[in-house]
Amino acid sequence: MGKLFEKFPDPLARLIVVFLALVAAGAFVFFVLIPKPVKDLKVQWDNAIRQESARPVKYAGFHACAECHDKLYETKKKGYHRDLSCETCHGAAKAHTEDPDTVKPVIPAERAFCPQCHAYNPSRPRGFPQINPVAHNPLKPCASCHNPHDPKPPTTPKECAACHGEIARTKAVSHHVQLECTTCHVTPQRHKVSPRAVKPTKPQDREFCGKCHGKDASAKLSANAPKIDLAEHGEKYVCWQCHYPHSPEVEQ
Amino acid sequence: MNPELLHTLKELLPQIQGYIYPNEIEIHWGLLIVVYPYITGIVAGAFILASLVKVFNVKEVQPLYRLSLLTALAYLLVAPVALVAHLGHPERFYEILLTPNTSSAMAMFGFVYAWYLMAVLLLEIWFVHRTDLIEWAEHETGAMRFIHRALALFSRDTGERAVAFDHKALKVITIVGIPSAFLLHGYVGFIFGSIKANPWWSSVLIPIVFLFSAIVSGVALVILLYMVITPLTGGKINMRCVDKAIDFLFYAVIVDFSLELVDFIHRVYQSEEEILILSEMVMSKLFASLLIIQVLLGMLLPLALISVTKIFKKRFHLSEDLRKMVYFISVILIQFGIFATRWNVVIGGQMFSKSFRGLTTYKVEFGGIEGLLFAILLLALPIVILAVLMKILPPWKEMREEGAAETVEVAGS
Repeated sequence: MGKLFEKFPDPLARLIVVFLALVAAGAFVFFVLIPKPVKDLKVQWDNAIRQESARPVKYAGFHACAECHDKLYETKKKGYHRDLSCETCHGAAKAHTEDPDTVKPVIPAERAFCPQCHAYNPSRPRGFPQINPVAHNPLKPCASCHNPHDPKPPTTPKECAACHGEIARTKAVSHHVQLECTTCHVTPQRHKVSPRAVKPTKPQDREFCGKCHGKDASAKLSANAPKIDLAEHGEKYVCWQCHYPHSPEVEQ
Repeated sequence: MNPELLHTLKELLPQIQGYIYPNEIEIHWGLLIVVYPYITGIVAGAFILASLVKVFNVKEVQPLYRLSLLTALAYLLVAPVALVAHLGHPERFYEILLTPNTSSAMAMFGFVYAWYLMAVLLLEIWFVHRTDLIEWAEHETGAMRFIHRALALFSRDTGERAVAFDHKALKVITIVGIPSAFLLHGYVGFIFGSIKANPWWSSVLIPIVFLFSAIVSGVALVILLYMVITPLTGGKINMRCVDKAIDFLFYAVIVDFSLELVDFIHRVYQSEEEILILSEMVMSKLFASLLIIQVLLGMLLPLALISVTKIFKKRFHLSEDLRKMVYFISVILIQFGIFATRWNVVIGGQMFSKSFRGLTTYKVEFGGIEGLLFAILLLALPIVILAVLMKILPPWKEMREEGAAETVEVAGS
C-alpha cells in the first residue's frame, strides 16, 4: 500500500484504492451474495411463465358456452355478432361453467352498454351501424327491438340515412340536397339486407358529373347547376379528387 | 375491463379526430418521459457550460463553474428516477441491473449513465474540490469535518505534485467529458431518432437538435440559478459573467433554432405521405405548445430580448438592472420553451395515428405515479439535492469573490 502511494500522486493512489474497492464490492455482491437463479435469464423466463400460468383463469372461451347454449350459439354464428365472443358482453364466465346454478354471468340490459360500440364516432368504419344514443328511441332498452344474438334493424331500412346518417346529414345542408342517393348510386335491393356482400355502385368517370355540370348538360336537374367545360376544367383529375360530392362547394 | 380505464377512454374518445387504430387512443409515454429528456438535457448543458471554463478558458464565466457542475450532478441523480417511475413495476428495476441486455438500445442508457456519472461528473467534482475539502476539514469540527475528510478520501496531501496532478486530471476529464455529455444527451435523441416507424421522430437530425436544445436549457438554467441564488445569499451578481454566459446562450439558441428550422424545411420539402397529418397536428393539437410556447415564447422572444440588450447596451448605456431583468425573463422563457420542445417531441410523436388519418389526444393525470404532481415533484427534487450539495460543497467563494472583483473593475471602467 505504501509503495502505491509513493509511486502515484496521492489523489490518484486514493482513487485507485476506491476503484478497486468498488470493483471488489460489486464482484462480491454479484458473484457471492446474489443467488444464481436471480442472475440467470432462463430461470427468470421460466419463473415468469410459471407465474403467469399460475394466475386464475377467468375466461371459459366460446366453445364452453356452446356446449349448453347451443341454440343461442347457432343463432349468433349466423348473425352480425358472429365475430364477438360470448364473454365480450357477458363477462368472464369460467366460474359459471364450474357452477352453473349459483354463478350467473351478466346480462347487460342497460342502455349504456351497446353504445360503447354503436354510438356514433367518426373513427369507426363507414357503414358500421352507429346511432346517436340520445335521439335513438330514448329510454327503450336496446334488446326490446334488436336481438343481441342476431342483431338487425327491426324493419328493413327504407332510407339510406338509417345507416349512412353522417352522409345524409351532410348532404341535407349541401347543394346536392335535392338529389336522391340513387341518382348517383345504383343500389340493389339486397344491399339493405346484406350491406357488405352487395354494394351500391359509385360514379366512375368525369362524364358522370358532366351529365349535370357539363357545358351542354341536358339532365332534368341540371338547370341551375354550375357548368364547366369538361375538356378544360380540372385537367386529368376526376371530379371527386377536388369536390366532395356529398357537400360540393360553390365558387362565388 | 378495468372500469377506471374505461372511464378515461370514454373521456378521450370525443376528442379524437379522424380515424385512429384502437390501441392509439391512450398515449403510453406520458409526462414522465417528457421530464426525462428535459432533465438529462440540463445535465449535458450545465456540463458544457462548465467545460467552457476548463477547456476553452473563458475566464469570465468562472463564477458559474462549480455551480454548473453541482447542478449537473443534482439533475443527473434525478434523471433515472423519471425512467424507473415510468416502469410498470418500478420496484423491480434492479432486475435490469442483474440481467443486463446489451443488445437493447434503451438498456444502453444504464451504461451511458453509469459512465457519465462515475467516470466524468463525480471524478471532475472530486478533483475540483479535493484541496478545498482538505482545507475545510482543517477548520471544522463534528460531523461536517468527518464528511469533508471522507469525501476527500482522507487525503491530506496539498503538495505540489498532488495539486499538479489535480489540474492535469481535470483537464483530461473535461476533455473526455465533452464527448460524454454529447453522448448522454445525443443518446436520448438517438432513442427517438432511431424509431423508423414514427415519422415525427425518425430523423438523423434529432440527436443533434437534442444536443443543442440541451446546451440551451442547461446554460439557461445555470444562469437562472446563479441570478436567483446569489442575491438570496447576500452576494452581488457579476454582470460580466452573466453577459458572457448570455452570449453563449444566445448563439446556442440561434444554432438550435436554425437546426430545427432546417429539420422543418426538410420535412416540408420532402412532403412525404405523413406531411398532411403532421401539419394538421401542428396546427391543432400542438399549436399552443409548439408554435406559441416553443417557437414564439421560448425562442424568438428571448432572441429578440437578448438582441435588444446587445444592440442598445453600447448606444444607450442600458442600466444594469434592466439588463438583469431582460436576462432573467429570457432564461425563464427559454426553460418553458425547452420543456415544451420535449413535450412536443414525446407527446407529439404519439398523437397522430399510424394510419396517418387521425389524431388522438393526451390528458395529463393529476395524481398517481405518471401524474402532474409527481412530475412537479421530480422537477423540484434536483433543486433540493442542489441545496444539499451546496451545503456540503459550498461554491460561494468562487461565486462571490470573482463577482466582487469584477464588479469593482466594471464600476471603475
